[in-house]
Amino acid sequence: MRSNWLPEIVKRAQSGPYMKEADFDLKLTKRIKELVREYGIRYDANNLCPADDDMADRVWQAGLQLFVEMGSYCQSTERCIRFTRDEVLEILAQEPGAVTLGMGKDAVVMRHRGVEDPQRAIMHSGPTGLPSSEKYHPLILLSCAQEPLVDCLGAGSVSTYHGERILPGTPLEVLGSRRDASVAREAIRMAGRPGMHINDVAVSLTCAGKMAAFDTDAGLRPSDAILVSQMVELKTDFDQLSRVAHLYNIGAVRVDLMTPLLGGVGGAAPGTAVVSVADHLLGAVLYDADYHMFSLTHLHYVNNTDPLGLWTQSMVGQALARNTKIVCLNDIYVVSGPGAKELFYECAAGALVTTVSGFNMQGAGTTGGFFPDRTTGLEARFIAEVSRASLNLTRQDAAQLVKEILPCYQATITSPNRGKPFNEVYDVETVQPTTEWLDMYHAVKEDLRRIGLKLA
Amino acid sequence: MNNPDTQWGEMQAQLRAAIDGLDEDAAVALAQAALAQGVTPLEFFRNVVEPVLTAIGDAFSRLEVFLPDLMRAGVVVKAVQTKALEPAIRASGGVSSSEGRVVIGTAQGDIHDIGKNMVALMLQVNGFTVTDLGTNVSTAAFIDVARRENADIIAMSSLLTTSLPFVKDVLARLDAAGERARFMVIAGGAPVTEAWSQAAGLNGFAEDAVEAVALCRGLMAKRREAAA
Repeated sequence: MRSNWLPEIVKRAQSGPYMKEADFDLKLTKRIKELVREYGIRYDANNLCPADDDMADRVWQAGLQLFVEMGSYCQSTERCIRFTRDEVLEILAQEPGAVTLGMGKDAVVMRHRGVEDPQRAIMHSGPTGLPSSEKYHPLILLSCAQEPLVDCLGAGSVSTYHGERILPGTPLEVLGSRRDASVAREAIRMAGRPGMHINDVAVSLTCAGKMAAFDTDAGLRPSDAILVSQMVELKTDFDQLSRVAHLYNIGAVRVDLMTPLLGGVGGAAPGTAVVSVADHLLGAVLYDADYHMFSLTHLHYVNNTDPLGLWTQSMVGQALARNTKIVCLNDIYVVSGPGAKELFYECAAGALVTTVSGFNMQGAGTTGGFFPDRTTGLEARFIAEVSRASLNLTRQDAAQLVKEILPCYQATITSPNRGKPFNEVYDVETVQPTTEWLDMYHAVKEDLRRIGLKLA
Repeated sequence: MNNPDTQWGEMQAQLRAAIDGLDEDAAVALAQAALAQGVTPLEFFRNVVEPVLTAIGDAFSRLEVFLPDLMRAGVVVKAVQTKALEPAIRASGGVSSSEGRVVIGTAQGDIHDIGKNMVALMLQVNGFTVTDLGTNVSTAAFIDVARRENADIIAMSSLLTTSLPFVKDVLARLDAAGERARFMVIAGGAPVTEAWSQAAGLNGFAEDAVEAVALCRGLMAKRREAAA
C-alpha cells in the first residue's frame, strides 16, 4: 500500500481542474483519435491476435499518454484527478506482480502473466454480470465452485429478497448483499473448498451494500474481494473511492472493474484499446488494485467475442503484459447461452486469444447479460481447459485457430441463440450437466482437437 | 435556388465535413449563408441537417461509425440550431423548429448513463429539445422538471431491474396528480421489454437510440394529430 495516498487522491478530486462531464467526454474522444493516428495503431481483421510487439508497445505508450493528459473524471466533484507521468510510472514500478487469493489449502496465487506465458491462467467463474433467481442461485454457484479447474468464485447477483425487488440504498440491499455472500460461502463449503476466493457480491450498488457483505463467519473475508468500478470511460466517484478506503482498512482484496465500450467513447478497436490501457492505469493509480477485471463490452451486442473485441482484448493484454507487472483478468462475455453450441465456440475464441495475450481468465458472462439463470459450471470448465491447452501456443497459432473457430458462431452474434436456463441444462438434484449439454461440450472439444488444439 | 437537389447535396457534404472535423464555425457559417440566400430554417433542417443525421444514425446502428461520431454531430448540430436556425426563427416571429421537448434521465438507483446519453444525443441531433437530468434521478425530479420545461415526453433509462419500480412510480404519481395525459412516458434499457412496458402502462419503449428517435417522432406525430 502506498502510504497516505488516498487522502492525496481525495485532495486532487477536490482541487483538480473543473470540467463539465460532457466536455470531458468530448475532449477524451478527440484525444483518443489523435493518439491512435499519432501512434499508428491499426486494426487488422485478418489477424485478431497480432504478434506485433512494437504495436503492443505503441498501444501502451498511447494509453499512458492519454491517462496522464486526461486523468480521471470525478463525478462527485466534477473535477479531473490528474497525475504526472513520473507518478504513474513510480506507482507501476511498485506493483508486486502477484496476489494471493483465498485462504488455506484453497488459496491460489494469481500472477502477472506475460505474452505467450507458459504459466497457467487462474480461472474465475460464477454468474457475474448476469442475474440469478433466488431459487437457482445456490445451485449455479455450486456448479461453478465444484469444477476442479475453477480457482475463484464470483457471487453474482440476485435481484430480489424473499420475492421483493431489491432497491439500492434500501435495507433490502444490505440484506441481499449479506445473503448472497453467505450463499457463496456455503457453495464453496459444499464444494469442499471452503477457502476459495470469492470475488465480489454484485447485488449491492452502493458502498454501504458492499461493506455489508463482509462477515468473517458467514460472509466475505479479507481473503475475498469487492469490485471497485469505473464509469466509462476513465470516471470514478466518491462512492467507489470509499470502497477502496474500506478495503484498505480491513485488508481485503481490491479489484478494479472496468467495462470499456467497444464503439463507445474510444470509437473503433484501436481507440478502445488505447482507452482500455488508460482504464487499467486508473485502477492501478486510484484504486491501488490487487488485480484488474477487464470486461470489454460491445456497444450493441454486449459481448467481447466478435472480431473487434478479440483484437482489442489481445492488444490491451499484450500492451500491459509487456510494459507493467499488474495482474490482469479478462472477463469473457458471450451472446449465446447454455444449451447452445455457439457458447463454447465463443468461449474458445476468447480463451485462446486472451491466454496467449497475458490475461488470467473469467467466464462466462452469457446472453449479453440479458437472460437470468443462464450460467453453468460447464462453460467455466471448458474455458479453463482451452486456456490450459493454449499455454504452448504462439500468438500466430492462436490467430490461426480463431480464424477457424469464428465461422462457427460469428453469424449468430446479431441473432443469438440464448439457450436455456440452468434447470434445463443441469440436473438440479445432482448438480451435474444434462446429457444434451454435456454432448455439446464434447462435440465442440472434438472440433477443436480436429483443428489442432491439444485439449486434454 | 437553382438545381436545389444538387445544392442540398453539396450542403449535406459540407455539414458532414464540419461534423467530422468538429468545426462548429463552418457549420454555422454554412447555415447562415443558406438563410441569407432565402432558405428557411425549416427547409435547411429538413433538407440538410436531417438527412446527414439520419445517415450517421443508420451507420451507427451498423457500427460503421461510433459514439464519438454521434457526439461530434450533437455538438455541431446544436451550434447550428442555437446560433443560426433559432435566431432566424425568432427574428421572423416564427415558432421553434423543435420536434418536441424531452426530459430524459436514468431512473433512481441506477448510475448507468451511456445508453441514456446516446438516446439524448440522438434525440437532440434529430431536432428534439432535450433536458438531460443525468443519472440516479428521483421520480419527483423527473416530474418537476417535465412541468417546468413543459415537456412532451419523459424518457427514462433503466439498466437495472432494481430501478424499474421507479419507472412505474413516475406513472403512478402522474396518475395521482391527474397529469398522465399531459406527458408521454417512455423507457429503455436491458430489463425493459415490450411486455413490461405495456403492463406498466408506458407510452412506448425502445431497444436502442435509433428506435428511440423513431418512437418519439411517432408519439409527437400522434400528439399533433390529436391537437389538430
